[in-house]
Amino acid sequence: MTESSRTTSARKRVVVVGSGMAATRLVEELVGRGATTDMDITVLGDEPVAPYNRILLSAVLEGTHRPEALTLRSEEWYAEHDIDLRLGARVLEIERDLKDVMLVDGTIIEYDALVLATGSIPTLPPIRGLVRMDGSLHESVHAFRSLGDCERLVDAVDATNGSGEKVNRRAVVVGGGLLGLQVARALGARGIDTEIVEGGEHLLHQQIGTAAGKILARDLKKLGVAVYTGARAVRLSDATDGPGTGLSGSVKVPDPLPRNPGRVALRLDNGFTLDTDLVVLTAGGRPSTALARGAGLEVKRGIVVDDRLASVTDPDIHAIGDCAQHNGRTTGFVPPAWEQAGVLAAVLCEEPAKYDGHRMVARLRATDLDVAVLGDPEQEVLNGGEVVEMSNPVRGSHRKLVVRDGRIVAGALVGDLNRIGLITQHYDRQTVLGPTEPGDLLLVERSAQPVQLPDDAEICNCAGVTVGAIKACSSFEDAREKTRATTGCGGCASTVRQLLASRSSLTPEGIK
Amino acid sequence: MDVMTETRTHCPYCSLQCGMSLQRSGRAGIEVREWAEFPVNEGGLCRKGWTAGELRGSRERLTTPMVKDRETGELRAAGWDEALDLIADRVRGLQADHGKDAVAVFGGGGLTNEKAYQLGKFARVALGTSQIDYNGRWCMSSAASAGNQAFGVDRGLPFPLEDIEQADVVVLVGSNMAETMPPAARYLDRLRERGGQLVVIDPRLTATGERADLFLQPVPGTDLALALGVLHLLDAQGAIDEDYVAERTTGFDAVRTSVAAWWPERVERVTGVSTFELRELITMLTGAEKVMVLTARGAEQHAQGTATVLAWINVALALGMPGKSYSGYGCLTGQGNGQGGREHGQKSDQLPGYRMIDDPAAREHVAGVWGVAPESLPGKGRSAYELLDSLGDGGGAKALLVFGSNIVVSAPRATHVTQRLESLDLLVVCDIVMSETAALADVVLPITQWAEETGTMTNLEGRVILRQQAVAPPEGVRSDLDVISGLAERLGSPVPFSTEPEEIFDELGRASAGGKADYSGITYDRILAEQGVFWPCPAADGTPHPGTPRMFADSFATPDGRARFLVQEFGGAAEQPDASYPLHLTTGRVLAQYQSGAQTRRITSLPDQGAFVEMHPMLAARIGAHDGDPVVVRTRRGEMKAPAKVVTTIRPDTVFVPFHWVGANRLTNDALDPSSRMPEFKVCAADVVV
Repeated sequence: MTESSRTTSARKRVVVVGSGMAATRLVEELVGRGATTDMDITVLGDEPVAPYNRILLSAVLEGTHRPEALTLRSEEWYAEHDIDLRLGARVLEIERDLKDVMLVDGTIIEYDALVLATGSIPTLPPIRGLVRMDGSLHESVHAFRSLGDCERLVDAVDATNGSGEKVNRRAVVVGGGLLGLQVARALGARGIDTEIVEGGEHLLHQQIGTAAGKILARDLKKLGVAVYTGARAVRLSDATDGPGTGLSGSVKVPDPLPRNPGRVALRLDNGFTLDTDLVVLTAGGRPSTALARGAGLEVKRGIVVDDRLASVTDPDIHAIGDCAQHNGRTTGFVPPAWEQAGVLAAVLCEEPAKYDGHRMVARLRATDLDVAVLGDPEQEVLNGGEVVEMSNPVRGSHRKLVVRDGRIVAGALVGDLNRIGLITQHYDRQTVLGPTEPGDLLLVERSAQPVQLPDDAEICNCAGVTVGAIKACSSFEDAREKTRATTGCGGCASTVRQLLASRSSLTPEGIK
Repeated sequence: MDVMTETRTHCPYCSLQCGMSLQRSGRAGIEVREWAEFPVNEGGLCRKGWTAGELRGSRERLTTPMVKDRETGELRAAGWDEALDLIADRVRGLQADHGKDAVAVFGGGGLTNEKAYQLGKFARVALGTSQIDYNGRWCMSSAASAGNQAFGVDRGLPFPLEDIEQADVVVLVGSNMAETMPPAARYLDRLRERGGQLVVIDPRLTATGERADLFLQPVPGTDLALALGVLHLLDAQGAIDEDYVAERTTGFDAVRTSVAAWWPERVERVTGVSTFELRELITMLTGAEKVMVLTARGAEQHAQGTATVLAWINVALALGMPGKSYSGYGCLTGQGNGQGGREHGQKSDQLPGYRMIDDPAAREHVAGVWGVAPESLPGKGRSAYELLDSLGDGGGAKALLVFGSNIVVSAPRATHVTQRLESLDLLVVCDIVMSETAALADVVLPITQWAEETGTMTNLEGRVILRQQAVAPPEGVRSDLDVISGLAERLGSPVPFSTEPEEIFDELGRASAGGKADYSGITYDRILAEQGVFWPCPAADGTPHPGTPRMFADSFATPDGRARFLVQEFGGAAEQPDASYPLHLTTGRVLAQYQSGAQTRRITSLPDQGAFVEMHPMLAARIGAHDGDPVVVRTRRGEMKAPAKVVTTIRPDTVFVPFHWVGANRLTNDALDPSSRMPEFKVCAADVVV
C-alpha cells in the first residue's frame, strides 16, 4: 500500500481495541448516528465471546441471571451493521508512525482513528503462594473479571465428588469493595460458607463511613458471611491438619466442615488463618495501559486524555473507560465509561462535544444487601458540603446526604434505600432543594392517617355523592338507587357500606 | 301529553361508550336512565354520563350560523344558505389561486363513523385536498402505530373489556381508568376479587393506582426504559416463553440482546423505580399464566410513544401472551370514537377500512366505491400537528374547516397554534357551543349533538355500536353530514353526499370491505340485535360472519401471520429538566371533565373548579406555596396561573396540570413521535413559582 492511498481513503477507518462495555457502547453510539455509512469500524476483542455485560457477572454467580442474558450484541448484529468484529484478537503493538496495529498473529490493521478501550486488569494482592512457580495462579484461587473467570468459579462451586457431595464448601473473598461484597453474597446464596477479608478499617471504605460500614458488616453476618476488616491476607499454603503447620503463632479458626483434600490455608496479617476451598480475588484492578505505554503515549495511572478523549500525546488515538485517565481521575465503573463513549462517538463524527466528568452512582448488586453511594461523600465533605444524616443502628440503616448550595452532591445509603429513585434523580439533575428537603428525603414516608369524613366530603367521585347523602339512605340498595353511588367505578362501595354500618350502630333503635 | 319514549343509545363522551337509555322529559329535555343489559358498563355510568342530557336546552347552544366581520371582529347571525355559499365561494377562490391543498380539513375522534367517513371522502373528492387529519393523532396514535407494526393491525383492545377480570396479572401503563372511564374499573375490582393482581404504572398515585397490588411511580417519560428493564430481567430469569416466541413471532434475538444493557440498577437510575419494586413486578409476571398489558395516554403521548408501546408489546410477546385467552396487549383508547375515527379515512394517510392511501389497490377499491377515478384521489397529507403548524403563515393551507375539535385548547404549544389559526384566510368551525376555537372562526356552524342524531361509534374494544336519535334538534341546527353534503354540492362535487346515516354506513361497509377494519358484514339491525358487533366482520353469503370479539388466537394480521419483536432504544423525553426549568410537567384529565371541556364545562351540575397545579408537599415547601395559593407554571413555550393543589400522591419532582382548560397546552411540548406524529403532551421541563 502506498502512502498516498493511506491518506486519500475517503472512508474513515476506526479501529477499536477492546470489546467490553465501553467499546460496545461506542459502537452502538456510532451506529445510532449512522456513522457506518462513511466509516469502516473494526472491533478487536481479546475474549473469544461476543461482547457481554460484565457488571452482571456476580448475578450470574448468584444464579439470579442466566449467562446468556449477558450478551450485549450478537456477532450477527455487528455483521448486520457492517462492523468488522474480530474475537480472540489480541493486539501486540501500535505503530503510530504508520497508523496501524499489529495482532499477535501478525495481522496488520490500519487506522485513521484508534480507540483504546482496553479496560482494566485485576491486580494480584501481595500474597505469598498465590502464584505457582510456573507463573500460574494456584488452582484454588479465582480472579473475577471475565465471563471465563465467572464460569470457572461457577464450576468450582458446583463441583461434586464421587458420592455427589460438594467438593468446595468454603470460600474467602479477598477485598471488601463493591465487587467483593457482591461475590461474597452470591457465593453465600449458593450455599458456600463465605468470609471476606478487607485490608481497610471497614467494608466499602472507599465509599462509605465507619458507621455505615459497621451496619453493613452486621447485615452480612446475619446473612452468614463473616467479615475480617483491617486485615490483609499474606500467605496461601496447602492446608494440613491442625497447628504446627509452620504458621507458628497463628490462630486457627475451627473448621466444622468435612475436609476437602484440596483445601488451602490463607493466613492473615492479624494472626488468623482461614481454611478454605476457594479464594476469590476482587481487590481492585488497574487500567490496562501496556499497549499505550509501548506506543509512547503519556500514561500515568491510566492513559491521559483531554476533553475530546484523545491522548495528549497523539490526537488520533483515543481512550475511554477504565483504561483512560481524564482530569487526573480514572474510574472503574460503567456509567462514566458510557458517557465517554457517547462523547467520543460525537467526536469521531466530527460533532462538537467534550467530556467534562460525570456523576457516579454505585449500587451494590446483591440480594438483601442495600447499599447506594452517590459521588464521593468523603471528598465532598472536604469540599465544604454539609452532611444531613440519619442513623438507625437498631433497624440497621445509615443514610447520609452531602448537600452544597441546596444540591445533593454526594451520599451514602446503607440498609434502607427508601426513595433511592428520587434521591438519585435529584442528584443526577442537581436540583436545588429547599432547606428541609434533604432531611425529608431521609425520613420514612408516613402512611396516611385514617380520618373522620365530614358530611360534605365527596366519597363517590363518579356520581358526586357526599357522606351526608349516603348517611341519609336506609340501605346499600337504597343508596345505589337514590344517589347512584357505587354504580360508576365501584371504588366507594366499601366506604359506603362502612358509613351505613356506622350509622346504624349509632342509632340502633332506629332500625326495627 | 308526551308519549313516554325511551331510546337506547350511548354516552357522548369517552371510548367506553357506555350504554344508556334516554327518556324525554319536559318539553325539550332528556333524562339519562340506566341500560343494564348493555355489557360494557352494565348500567353503570359516571357523573359525566348521568348529566350528559343537561347540555340539551342550554342557553349556550348555538342555533344559527354566524359569520364574522373581519373589520370589526364581530360575529353576526346568518342563514344557512348564506353561510354555506360564503364558505364555498371562499374555498373556490383560495383553491383557484393557491391549489387544492390551500384548503385543509380537521376532524375529531368524537365524530361518528359515518361523519369520519364522509369527511375523508369530502376532502379527497369534493375538495380534492390531501390536507386532512384529526385530533385522534393526539389520542392513541402511538398505540395505533405500534399495533400495526407489531401485530399488523390496530384494534385498541383485541379482546372484550370483560376479559380483564379473568386475567392473573393486569399491568396498566399510564392509565387512570378509574377516573377517566370509571365504569370500566369494575373489571379491575372483579379481577382482584377473583385473586388476580393489578399493577399500575403512573407518576401520580391515582384512584386507579390506589386499587393496585403493585404501584410503580416512574419519572415521566421513562416508561420505555422500564419496559426494557422488565424484559431484561424476564430473560435473565429464564422466564421467556421460548416455544411461543419460536412459533408465533419473529425478531426476538435482536430484541433480546438489545435489552442486555438494561440491568435493574441502571433502570432504577433512569426511571426512579427502585430495583426492589422492579423485582416485585418480575415476580408477579413470572408467577402468572395470564398476563395482560394495557397502555393508555400516559405511555403513549410522548415523542417516543410508539417505541414505548412497542417495548411493552415486546414484554407481552416474550411472556407468550398475545392471542392467548384472557391475556395479551391492548390500548385503552381515549376519545368516544377514537377507534372508528382512525379507520375510515379522516387520517392524512388513510382510506376507509384502515387502508393506506399510498397503496394502489386500496385507492382503486375505494375510488370504485366512490365512483371517481383512482388517480383523482390526492396522496398523503400532513399529520395533525404538522398540518396546523403549516397553516397560514406556515406556508400550508389558507383555509381550515374544523369538525368536532377544539384546537385552541387541545393542541400542544397552543399559543403558537392559535397564531397559526389567526393567520388563516378562512376558518370554519362546526360546533354545538361557542368553543374557544369557534370564537376565532370566520364562520361558525351550529350542529346537532349526540342525542339529536344517529350514527355508529366503535368503542375501545373494536365493538361497533349505534347511537340513536332520541330527540329532535333545536331549530336552526343541522348535522355535520348536512354541512358536508351542502358544501359538496356547492363545490360541484362529482358525486353526491348522502345525509342519511344508515345509507352512509352501508357505503362505508362497502368501502371497508377487504380492508383490515372490515365493516361490510355489519348492519344497524345486527348492532341492535347483538349489543354491538366487533370488527373485522366481512359480508358473507349465507351464514353471516359473527364478528371478531377476540383476535390473534391463531395468527396475527401480518403477511406471515407472526407478531413482530422490534428493537426499541430509549432516548428519554425530548426536553429534560435543567437549572431554569427543573421540574417535569405532565398533563391529564379529571373525572368531572372531558377533553377540552367544551361540553362538560357548560354542564352546571358537573363541578368546575378550574385548572390547578398538583404538587408534592416537598416541592410546595421548596417554593413556599400552600394548598390553594395561586402559582405560575412556566415552560419554554408559555405560562399559566392556577391554584396549587398539594398532594402526597405525585412524584416530588413532577407537577401535574389538567388539560380541560385553556392554559395547560400553552405549556406542552410539540416534539413529535417520528412514526405516529404524536406530540409529547405527557412530559416537558417546567418551573413553578409562587
